[in-house]
Amino acid sequence: MAPMKKLTGLMWSFLLLTALTVQAQNRQISGKITDQKDGTPLAGATISVKGTNISTATSADGTFTLNVPADAKTLIISSVGFGQKEVSVSDNISLSLSSADNSLSEVVVVGFGTKIKRDLTGSVAKVGQKELANTPVTSFEGALQGRAAGVQVEQGNGKLGQGIKVRIRGASSVTAGNEPLYVVDGIPVITNNLSGNSAATNPLSDLNTNDIESIEILKDASSAAIYGARGANGVVLITTKRGKAGKSKVDFGFFTGTQEPTRKREFLNSQQYVEYFRQAAVGAGKYDYKYGISGYGSEQEAIDDNLAFVESRLRRYSAGNDDYQTYKVNTDWQEEAFQRAPISEYDLSLSGGNEKTTFYMAGQFLDQKGIIVRNSLKRYNGRLNLDHKFTNWLTVGANLSFARTLNYRVSDDNAFSTPLQSVALSPITPTIDPRTGLLSGESDPNRAGNPGGPNTNYPVYYNPMLSVKGAYYNTIVNRSLGNVYGQAQITNKLSFRTEFGLDQLNQTEEGYYGPITERNTTYPRGGGFTNADQVLNFNTNNFFRYVTNIKDKHDIDAVVGMSFQEQDYFSQGNTAEAFPSPAYKKLTSAGTKSDATSTANEFSFLSYFGRANYKLMDKYLLAVSGRFDGSSRFGKDNKWGFFPAASVGWIISDENFLSNVKWLSFMKLKASYGLTGNAEIGNYSWQTLWTGDGAYGGIPGQRPSQLGNPNLKWENTASFDIGAELGIFENRVSLELDYYVRNTTDLLLQVEVPGTSGFTSQLQNLGKLKNKGFEFTINTQNIVSRDFRWTTNINFGLNRNEVTDLQGQELGVGNYNRAREGQPLGVFVAREFAGADPETGDAIWYKNTVGADGKVDRTPTNNYNEAAEVVIGNPNPDFIYGMRNTFTFRGFEFDIFLQGVQGNDVYDGGGQYMSASGSNGFDNQTTDQLAAWKQPGDKTRVPEARLFFANGTDPSSRYLYDASYLRVKQLTLTYNLPKSVISKIKIDRARVYVRGQNLFTITNYKGWDPEVNADYQATNINQGVDFYSAPQLRTIVFGLNIGL
Amino acid sequence: MLFNKSRIIGGVLSLTVAFTACEKRLDKSPFASVDADQALLTSSDVESALVGAYSRLGDAEVYGGDMFVYSELLGNDNEITWSGTFQGLTQIYNKQIPVNNDFVQDTWTESYEAINVANNVLNAIDKVVDAKKDKVAGEAKFIRAAVYFDLVRLYAKAWNDGNPSSNPGVPLVLKPTADLADAAKVSRNTVAEVYAQIITDLTEAEGQLSTGKTIFANRPSASALLARVYLQQGDYANAAAAADRAIKDGTNSLTGTYAEAFPVNYNAATVPVANTTEDVFAMQVNNTQGVNDFNTYFSPMGRGDITIDPSYFSQYEENDGRLEVYYADGGSIYTGKFDMVYGNVHILRLAEMFLIRAESNFRLGGDPIGGVAPHLDINRIRARAGLDPIDAADLTLDQILLERKLELAFEGNLLHDKKRLEIAVGPLSWNSSRLVLPIPEREIKVNGNLVQNEGY
Repeated sequence: MAPMKKLTGLMWSFLLLTALTVQAQNRQISGKITDQKDGTPLAGATISVKGTNISTATSADGTFTLNVPADAKTLIISSVGFGQKEVSVSDNISLSLSSADNSLSEVVVVGFGTKIKRDLTGSVAKVGQKELANTPVTSFEGALQGRAAGVQVEQGNGKLGQGIKVRIRGASSVTAGNEPLYVVDGIPVITNNLSGNSAATNPLSDLNTNDIESIEILKDASSAAIYGARGANGVVLITTKRGKAGKSKVDFGFFTGTQEPTRKREFLNSQQYVEYFRQAAVGAGKYDYKYGISGYGSEQEAIDDNLAFVESRLRRYSAGNDDYQTYKVNTDWQEEAFQRAPISEYDLSLSGGNEKTTFYMAGQFLDQKGIIVRNSLKRYNGRLNLDHKFTNWLTVGANLSFARTLNYRVSDDNAFSTPLQSVALSPITPTIDPRTGLLSGESDPNRAGNPGGPNTNYPVYYNPMLSVKGAYYNTIVNRSLGNVYGQAQITNKLSFRTEFGLDQLNQTEEGYYGPITERNTTYPRGGGFTNADQVLNFNTNNFFRYVTNIKDKHDIDAVVGMSFQEQDYFSQGNTAEAFPSPAYKKLTSAGTKSDATSTANEFSFLSYFGRANYKLMDKYLLAVSGRFDGSSRFGKDNKWGFFPAASVGWIISDENFLSNVKWLSFMKLKASYGLTGNAEIGNYSWQTLWTGDGAYGGIPGQRPSQLGNPNLKWENTASFDIGAELGIFENRVSLELDYYVRNTTDLLLQVEVPGTSGFTSQLQNLGKLKNKGFEFTINTQNIVSRDFRWTTNINFGLNRNEVTDLQGQELGVGNYNRAREGQPLGVFVAREFAGADPETGDAIWYKNTVGADGKVDRTPTNNYNEAAEVVIGNPNPDFIYGMRNTFTFRGFEFDIFLQGVQGNDVYDGGGQYMSASGSNGFDNQTTDQLAAWKQPGDKTRVPEARLFFANGTDPSSRYLYDASYLRVKQLTLTYNLPKSVISKIKIDRARVYVRGQNLFTITNYKGWDPEVNADYQATNINQGVDFYSAPQLRTIVFGLNIGL
Repeated sequence: MLFNKSRIIGGVLSLTVAFTACEKRLDKSPFASVDADQALLTSSDVESALVGAYSRLGDAEVYGGDMFVYSELLGNDNEITWSGTFQGLTQIYNKQIPVNNDFVQDTWTESYEAINVANNVLNAIDKVVDAKKDKVAGEAKFIRAAVYFDLVRLYAKAWNDGNPSSNPGVPLVLKPTADLADAAKVSRNTVAEVYAQIITDLTEAEGQLSTGKTIFANRPSASALLARVYLQQGDYANAAAAADRAIKDGTNSLTGTYAEAFPVNYNAATVPVANTTEDVFAMQVNNTQGVNDFNTYFSPMGRGDITIDPSYFSQYEENDGRLEVYYADGGSIYTGKFDMVYGNVHILRLAEMFLIRAESNFRLGGDPIGGVAPHLDINRIRARAGLDPIDAADLTLDQILLERKLELAFEGNLLHDKKRLEIAVGPLSWNSSRLVLPIPEREIKVNGNLVQNEGY
């Protein structure tokens, strides 16, 4: 891309020339900034000269001095958490700032800079420290859920430290990544899933939520295009806390509480189970005889044979005795999967500094048990953020943090060993086998071949409690994330900032599977593995910022620069088996070292970017930006993409014709259009590759592993956004509205190809996808009096996703979810279930075939193959929303936060086993299966129970449920101890609170929890599937914060 | 002052230049793979690709065993009970197979993956040194023929069902896929065309391969598979001749006892067991490579999903030594033939060759091909099982077929024998469309040229 290089060279030279030619004479001013609330001095407030980069911060007593150019006219005073004000330059300035919750003058972090909210032309959602702090969740995204309009956060299950899905204004891609770009203090961080099993883990959970000052979510193209290549899914900017000059502060925080499943399901008890499977035997016999499947002589013979079979199995699952006949044993296997789950978090932070140097240091310890047995997580965090004014024109600083996370994991949802699959076991099976006094399944003294080894056919499936007792899977992550920066004030108007960041993640996974897990792992003498992953991500940003104000009419703020990111990944793993005894668990003791692996990959991005903001007469806003991005992920002719954006804003309330409209305090209209890109595909995807994993019989071999595509290029999303921001009644009511359309073209699509080619798919730029939607946010101050304050925040996001063009293909055939033209991504496609045939008890489906006349045939059929697949549901919500009400009365604060998702469906993938009218094995059944068809004339949705003659268990709308929900996401009652009391014991701030998370859920979903997506199968397309997935956590904690 | 502005600006300028040079850092090559144009440059590259073809052949859904397990499940008529949770196999066992059955889909795609690797080897055969050229080509043809044979038997009408020259078989893909243009939307060749290709490949392979014990396909492997193919066609003269060549090759011999043909080492399950003397061809399995799905489904050491019904054993004579490999555990009867978790997958055993030669010669009458009378071949099998010999005069075709069934029990021949012999499967006639797998729904959707099988 030679022309591009020249262009950037020119840009640099131009900027430097401009910089060097600007000169000015100075004068000195001073002043004091206070908090409007109580008149106390405000330390760390920023005073900057409008139209320049000249700024300083107030010291502990709120005072400042500043050299300003002789021609300086206006000062801008701002402070985090406070509104921004502008004043004319005078020698001595005294000013108070008022605190700003979502107010227009709030400072908002944008890519490579900050803006005040009033001047924003893009769409940026901000979630502040107050909403995030002390949320009893493992990762900060959990605290973001429901907080910002158009930002969908979904946790697939209730296991700890697992992957979390975040969608900003819908999914923009079918095959490439749909997760936003995460940037911490200017540096994109590692988000790779490094899980050794098919359940993704979440590297973002290494961050300490209490270190976060604010999270800004860049939603539209004009705000995200500065991250061009990486911005198509939105950008999440995380800014950590910094110290302020002034009194050194110590803050201690602590909370502790318990967690439990949000819901439980109901399964058959012993008596119901025994009776149900006898009924299923009769059903099976009748069916077999009717269709002559086994050639029985009479119906009675068929029934008797099936009943005898069932009795023998019931006896087997009843530990080989007759207790099942009296229902003596009644095990609730669901309860066995859950545990008491305490959670505690301890925080300590110190901050402070002087005019030259400020610091923030913090440490945290999180000790959390999961609700699923064996699942727990411990995390240690530390952070030091430093800023130092080296000279009056050079500032340097560093952000350093480390984390150590220990996650004691359980298997993925699709494993017999995952604890919640214990619900498949029979209630007549005791937890302890009376024959051995050991766990059921642990030992079979009479086992052929291996006497004393684990049972091979008792209980009905592998008992997951054996893994709880005899296996572990531990993940340890050591993470260090840091960056250093230097910022030089080259002239009054031009500054240069360079940032260099390093994110290093080392993960070790260790698994051990003792001999008692043999039935699950086929290791008769135990086995184990270790995996070690190293990820190194380094990034540098270098950019100039030029700010000027011409004749107090024209404000220009321009940024131009470059960034480079490279990520190197290395991993190695070992497996071994056969240990001398269960006392030995490290691979070094294993008799057979069975496998060793190592692999590596890399990617890099090189980018040149620029942005210019222009403001005319403080009310006409224009922003243009552009970014050239090169990525190693494309072939040599397609590496580069260009991503421009432009936006305009009009502060219409400042116009004379609206000056008489008293109730309208503020109104801004804005519009933006731009391109963003997506390259979140695997590395080397464009190449046709061979891989050396084709060994056979101990002899190495190679094979084709990937059908490449040298024409592969960037996926593009063109976004259009129009919006308005209103402030009414002196901004007591503020309203933001946005309408957007996002069109993705050249989809990076894993296209299914005929299997006869020897490949099943190829990555191509094929197809189009569209999101359009509407969002609003309302903030109101309902009652503001001296003692009582009531505020409300409501956010609402509606998104319509449609895969518009796949050139006739359909992805995901064979799964519940599909990418199908004309439908939202991940739409559920299956046969439409019509219940049980009232005459025969057969499962029936609507044919839904389209005849020659174009009419749909709605007659039911009991032949599954005869029914056509149709769209049966949609995993994407119609809309999502959040509503927060805060009441403060003197020292008390009551905060209730509701969060909801409306109109999405969930497919219960476990239904084919647990809600199968006993036709698909001896799995214990959900109680709703008691309604199974029994005799002609019965009208029911549950087909006849017929053991091993699957009756309606194939994918169909039988297992699809509306999963809309409304949750009391968070409820907090806080008491701030009065100063008069605590000052006596030399405490500055003290508060106690009790907080409930996921307290209460309203839903029609029949499964454990409507917020679900089975971890082992989750992809862009595969959404909203439940499969023995652990429910979410309902948490109640008591907490305390003390500040000195 | 140490830091002055002009120095900083100079530094900034040099940084700018430095990072513009980053552009070449955008060229990244994989570490764990190689580009296709670098994969097949030398003789040893192509030989490694051949090994890769075996590894694909050994996929669970192909010769790792599933293709044969389907035959046992589909052909079953009240001799076994399936109680597993893999719904795809339950559907096959119930002979009610939806077109989106995952096993049906995976076997199809994995089979063609193996075929593509074999095609790559054959396409690059000029790279192979002359001394190895025949061996490499022969083995690749053997692999390709083996996969096509089991594909056409499972996904198309039987040879003897109507006219094989017009019945659709499976698509014949004989060139490697280099890019998507080649991955064209192929059509199904006829059953006869597929069989003709199999016989061509195997005949050439037999000529190119040499004899001698190996874990790879050798000359007797090709002869033996050819015998199986001819028998399926009812071409008894060619079947007997090919079986005779496999026997007379002399590389293999029957094991001393029946149980020894299915070695199990319960105490050292992780130690790989070599082929027995009787294995004419077996897929190699050890604790890191290969899989034995006979073990997975038949053995309690695996999932133990398939149990043997007691009534099945009434077919055996009382002192039949082959009964030793069956045992009761927890109230169910299992076969112990596949108890070795990392046991090799027995594809072709020498015993089958004696049975093919016997059956073919018996049907043909006259001078036996290979010069061994049918009763002598049968008695050789019976003697190893500890059973009394049958006089030539008393020998019937039914006896031969029963001997074949019991000797090769649960090894994957059941369905294909029933079709060949036109024996009903319970209420279904031997040529019922329900005993033919559907073309996977996925394939029909991505390739409009594929015609679905009757009844789906």
